[in-house]
Amino acid sequence: MFSGKPIKPTFKCYLPPVQTDVKKNIEPPIKKLDPKLLPGEIVVNEVNFVRKCISAESNQDDPWGKLICTNFKVSFIPQEAPPKQKSQLSHLLLGEHDIPLTCLEQVVTVNDTKGKKKVLGSNQKLKFNPTELILYCKDLRIIRFCFDEAGPESARKVCLAIAHYSHPADLQLLFGFEYQGRRYHECKGDQVNGSTPRGGMQTPIFDRPSDWDREIKRTSASEWRVCSINESYAISPSLPEYIVVPVSLADQDLKQYSLYFTDRRIPLWCWNHPSGSALVRMACIVDPLHQRKIDQRIFTAITKSHTQRSEVIRSDLDKCLPNIQDIQSAFVKVRQICVLDPFEESEERWLSSIDNSRWLEYIRAFLKHSAEIVYYLEGKNVSVILQEEEDRDLNCVVSSLVQLMLDPHYRSLIGFQSLVQKEWVMAGHRFLDRCNHLKKNYKEESPLFMLFLDCVWQMMNQYPAAFEFTEAYLTVLSDSMWIPLFSTFLFSSPKQRAQHLMDFAKNKAIPQGEDQVVYFPPVWEWSQQFSIKDQTLFNNPMYVGKGAACVQNGEVKTFRRTKQKTYSSTLRGTATLMRNGLKEGEDTLTRRGSLVSELKSEFSAVKDESPSERFFRDWFSRPADQQGLLIPLSMPSHVALWKLFFLRWVPEACIPRGGPITAYHKLSQLVDEIEILQSQLRQYKGPSPGNTPLPSPSGPPSDQRRMYFKASYPDDPATTPDFLTSSFPFTPVGNLCRRSVYGTPISKFLNGARIWLSTETLANDTV
Amino acid sequence: RQTFTFTPMDNLESPLNLSIPTGSHVEWCKQLIAATISSQISGSCEWCRSSCMLMVIKVPLTGLCSVQNLSALRYGAQAKMFQNQVPLLPGETINTTVKDVMYICPFSGLVNGTLTITDYKLYFTSVEKESHFVLDVNLGVISRLETISVPNQGENTKGLELVCKDMRSPRFAYKTEESQPDIVEVLTKHAFPLSHSLPLFAFLYKEQFPVDGWKVYDAAAEYRRQGLPNESWTISKINSTYELCDTYPSILVIPTNITDDDIKRVALFRAKHRIPVLSWIHPESQATIVRCSQPLVGPSDRRCKEDERFLQIIMDANAQSHKLTIFDARQSSVAITNKAKDGGYESESFYSNVELNFLEIPNIHVMRESLRKMKDVVYPTIDEAHWHSAIDQTHWLEYIRLLLAGAAKIADKLESGKTSVVVHCSDGWDRTAQLTSLAMLMLDSYYRTLRGFQVLVEKEWISFGHKFSRVGHGDENHANSERSPLFIQFIDCVWQMSRQFPAAFEFNELFLITVLDHLYSCLFGTFLYNSEQERMAKEVQAKTVSLWSYINSQPEDFTNPFYVDYENHVLYPLVSSRHLELWTSYYARWNPRMRPQVPVHQTLKEMLILRAELQRRVEELQREASSHSLSSSSEHSSSPTHTTGTPLHTTV
Repeated sequence: MFSGKPIKPTFKCYLPPVQTDVKKNIEPPIKKLDPKLLPGEIVVNEVNFVRKCISAESNQDDPWGKLICTNFKVSFIPQEAPPKQKSQLSHLLLGEHDIPLTCLEQVVTVNDTKGKKKVLGSNQKLKFNPTELILYCKDLRIIRFCFDEAGPESARKVCLAIAHYSHPADLQLLFGFEYQGRRYHECKGDQVNGSTPRGGMQTPIFDRPSDWDREIKRTSASEWRVCSINESYAISPSLPEYIVVPVSLADQDLKQYSLYFTDRRIPLWCWNHPSGSALVRMACIVDPLHQRKIDQRIFTAITKSHTQRSEVIRSDLDKCLPNIQDIQSAFVKVRQICVLDPFEESEERWLSSIDNSRWLEYIRAFLKHSAEIVYYLEGKNVSVILQEEEDRDLNCVVSSLVQLMLDPHYRSLIGFQSLVQKEWVMAGHRFLDRCNHLKKNYKEESPLFMLFLDCVWQMMNQYPAAFEFTEAYLTVLSDSMWIPLFSTFLFSSPKQRAQHLMDFAKNKAIPQGEDQVVYFPPVWEWSQQFSIKDQTLFNNPMYVGKGAACVQNGEVKTFRRTKQKTYSSTLRGTATLMRNGLKEGEDTLTRRGSLVSELKSEFSAVKDESPSERFFRDWFSRPADQQGLLIPLSMPSHVALWKLFFLRWVPEACIPRGGPITAYHKLSQLVDEIEILQSQLRQYKGPSPGNTPLPSPSGPPSDQRRMYFKASYPDDPATTPDFLTSSFPFTPVGNLCRRSVYGTPISKFLNGARIWLSTETLANDTV
Repeated sequence: RQTFTFTPMDNLESPLNLSIPTGSHVEWCKQLIAATISSQISGSCEWCRSSCMLMVIKVPLTGLCSVQNLSALRYGAQAKMFQNQVPLLPGETINTTVKDVMYICPFSGLVNGTLTITDYKLYFTSVEKESHFVLDVNLGVISRLETISVPNQGENTKGLELVCKDMRSPRFAYKTEESQPDIVEVLTKHAFPLSHSLPLFAFLYKEQFPVDGWKVYDAAAEYRRQGLPNESWTISKINSTYELCDTYPSILVIPTNITDDDIKRVALFRAKHRIPVLSWIHPESQATIVRCSQPLVGPSDRRCKEDERFLQIIMDANAQSHKLTIFDARQSSVAITNKAKDGGYESESFYSNVELNFLEIPNIHVMRESLRKMKDVVYPTIDEAHWHSAIDQTHWLEYIRLLLAGAAKIADKLESGKTSVVVHCSDGWDRTAQLTSLAMLMLDSYYRTLRGFQVLVEKEWISFGHKFSRVGHGDENHANSERSPLFIQFIDCVWQMSRQFPAAFEFNELFLITVLDHLYSCLFGTFLYNSEQERMAKEVQAKTVSLWSYINSQPEDFTNPFYVDYENHVLYPLVSSRHLELWTSYYARWNPRMRPQVPVHQTLKEMLILRAELQRRVEELQREASSHSLSSSSEHSSSPTHTTGTPLHTTV
């Protein structure tokens, strides 16, 4: 700073520019504003001269424009195109100011002068002319529009339209059914039939036997077979058509057993450990009279399928984990604290409030329980059955977490997507009910998938090089739940999906035999939502870099299965102690107590330690192989709030030019450089060494570069770009009806007084 | 129906190897140490430090670990030497060795072994079940010794607890025998040498480092870097004999237009004669950070013309603003109470154009109490169910927030308001030092470098007379109410900033932990004594080694590989509870279950090595190719050798 060079005037100031004239007389200019519509999208209602509130202190920066309600989204079209924000994730189907109707959590209208407000539902009346519209979104955004210059009647109509269209009466009314039909016919010419199966998508969908076969082979589950008794959903509507079962069970037996299970859900194979132990999930047995018998047969069959004929252990998830209502209420609370409560007030005793929401406690419970299952599969080499009343909620979370911990394949992008497909979509998680897309039954709503993503984030946070994808990917995936254009999150069971898609194909004149994945794609077809360049934000440089290191050594390393480890004889010897999963002498943790009692407990030579504790201690005492078994720490000190997800829209919580993204930026540049160098090396070595082409200094073509942030050239200053914030690739500007981006702590101190909008206080007594 | 419930997996105590029969962890640790020594990758060193905990390397002494590291050649392949011998520092002597001592590990029960007490450390070693166990506690870290009752171990058995300043309290049980010297007696003598007319170990330590850390800070050079002197500010020798103010440094920057007589009168009006002096000047606006102590206005609202004029001159030195802002760090109620004790604050009606702000930061006693509570939260066990609430109840993070908020206000006043500020508390050596140094860290990217940070600490803390007696070096009076963890609080704030801006600081977390460890250790002379005058009298620079000698002899260990110079960029941390975290890798590091997260920077370092290797190969091939093509055709000029290159501030 004091170097001899002339000082550049680059000191940055986060304060709002000096406001010369406090309130300019703003005349809404008249300009024709056309909405950007998707095929099949129609405008339902619109109102002009609307102000979108992006700041609280002054409204002169607020954009003016037209508010539109279509059959897909709420759209705001500003009069003046805002200056293009550099390098943000831009959605191909949604503009910066667009909110899909499915993403709306609550539609609130306010009349400031009359001091009235109303939460709008479907087909409701509104007795006052709204001056404000506040949209609470499921992706945690809060967006506010003001109608001070708008026609009162059209404002009212738009509000009612938004409320109405965000409460669709029927699943078929979701816009995806309109859009994908149009898209299919419009794009048909572009597709060459058969050359790229499933449009080149690599994620297995698990709707055909071959996907399961491949998974059986990959995990060497030779004692398991694909069974097709549920073809055409003959047995159970919530099971996939093809399932994997023990070789020793005949179709006939399975059909018979199915009668005894909830929703006729016979046990489903999930995964096999290289040592032979299997992870199985199943619903409860309805008839207590037959429970023993069925249990025994199932257990015997699973034991037979174990290469070492090891015993089977069952974990009843309903008994040891929070239920879906607990999870929902924890999520509501943590959301309240993060985005709804006035910022300053929630600052006080922040950690206690987070504790009180119990969200992190539940995250820990799921991680901890999944780790215990890992111990049985890996450490004790026994098969595990996850049991839950319906086998469609908690089992999804635990089975997928267990597999993420044990199998590095699922930590690749494709692997992760196949895991979601296998353990959630095909296993019959009730996405439609849990997401409450139709806003009908609030009791069924529960953010289980969100909980799972948060658990994945916790693992990612603890083992940053272990996952191929980034937290931005997880966040984008969670947002995609609220975009009704993809088949992944729209249905509650495989049968429901099949029926709706069949009807859809019929209605839209899609030829019979056409692949569902082609005419109604899953969310995994990311190119529908994001450009190739933006998709590189999903790539974790640390993971890619590690891969580079392997290739560099001359061998292309693929994901290897965790090697079977030999465990000390002591551990095997204790197996009897664990029979039936009942432990003795649990909980040896010393609690804080009087000095004497504490000393006494310390005076036992070595404390009693359960085999699982020893297993974990042993594992944690070794350096973690990020491509091997991965056990997350579930202590409160190591389970953190997922800031990008929960705080990305809160301007006050946004750190300009800071946050983990600055480290990501640097790592990405380095990996890009490494990839350029590697490509140069390859070019030198070339297939025929005789005629070496001179390498292009630019390295691989830009569309093949996997890093979002490209290597900078030596002359470039190595500074952190201005647009990086702790919210990146999202931007809190204008997404909350609160302060502007200028609402940094500094200006808050200077301004002294808190300026809170009426909406915050309103937010508390909505519902 | 079979069901099973689970014990929380957190009950396990991971990295302690005591009962791992194979001792594989020990082997692994050794390898890690060897790797650390050879490659000096601080990533692995850091990993080892925190994960091995009480094992082969000793955490408190990251310093020692690396000292050995430096003198690795002398030790040679010394892994074996650890087994039976006590590694000694140059100048360190063994006082007593006691066998059959039991270490009462809060995590895994009793460990039987041998205890050695030197004049620098307590070294406990045990070889049980093939696994080697070492506990190394430097004596400087001990706050007090307490006898504890040991039930069921025979009459002659005594128990001893070492209550430490760094958040742990190891306990021992031992048999008293006539023939052996009493452990407590020996420990007391050497843990608190000053109370027993013995020298601090820093004066006995004889390590030679290739770099002389005492040369890091040169006040004149630092002021020159800031562009001083200039027409308004002069570098004054008025305190060269410490006559004006015995707790100030000899070199002071004061306004040009003021006479020595006036200064002396101002000194009489300021507590402990700590007159307003310049700490930092903004390179563009010339707005300054000025520090001092409270004015002695007393109950009768005394005035001092010279003092009023002094502040006026400070204001006038900055043409950009016609105001001066005084930040009084104290709670306003306390400042008012201080009037009764002959202290007080500047009245806005006597000082024209002055704006007075209270930052409402509680005093040293509150901070001490807060950290004491924190120790209960993190050691020896943690309350799983109420971890976050327990942290909230210590208020530690709340005070961190207050400090950072205060510093951000000061920085913003200079940067955006272009206004000079005066910062004081009561004596101007505690909260004042915290605030000025944090504000300077935000404003000036130089202080965010490894070297610059050392200058900042030397300047704002050491030379300006922060009472490092608050640490209680070598003093047995643990209940002294003067003790307070103010410097720790400052380092915690720096750590918080580095969490928010992972790429803005040249130094890493290991550096901050090392600084704190040696705040207590008494191995280096850096943090000894309360003022420059005292240090001159004790000949600290001649007789002790500087901490910076050690740090700067192996800077790569303490360097952050993510560092990108945020040059000219003011760094405002987000002062929000949402982004403040408990620094568990410092406060809770003694809990073996607190395994550190896999450090990202280690991956980065591996990639840096990979890149260097690839670059080398590409260049080789390019040379080959160009010589090849030269012989065949000359149409290709040599392609650029360095096609890319993100400047990286790391030595690979």
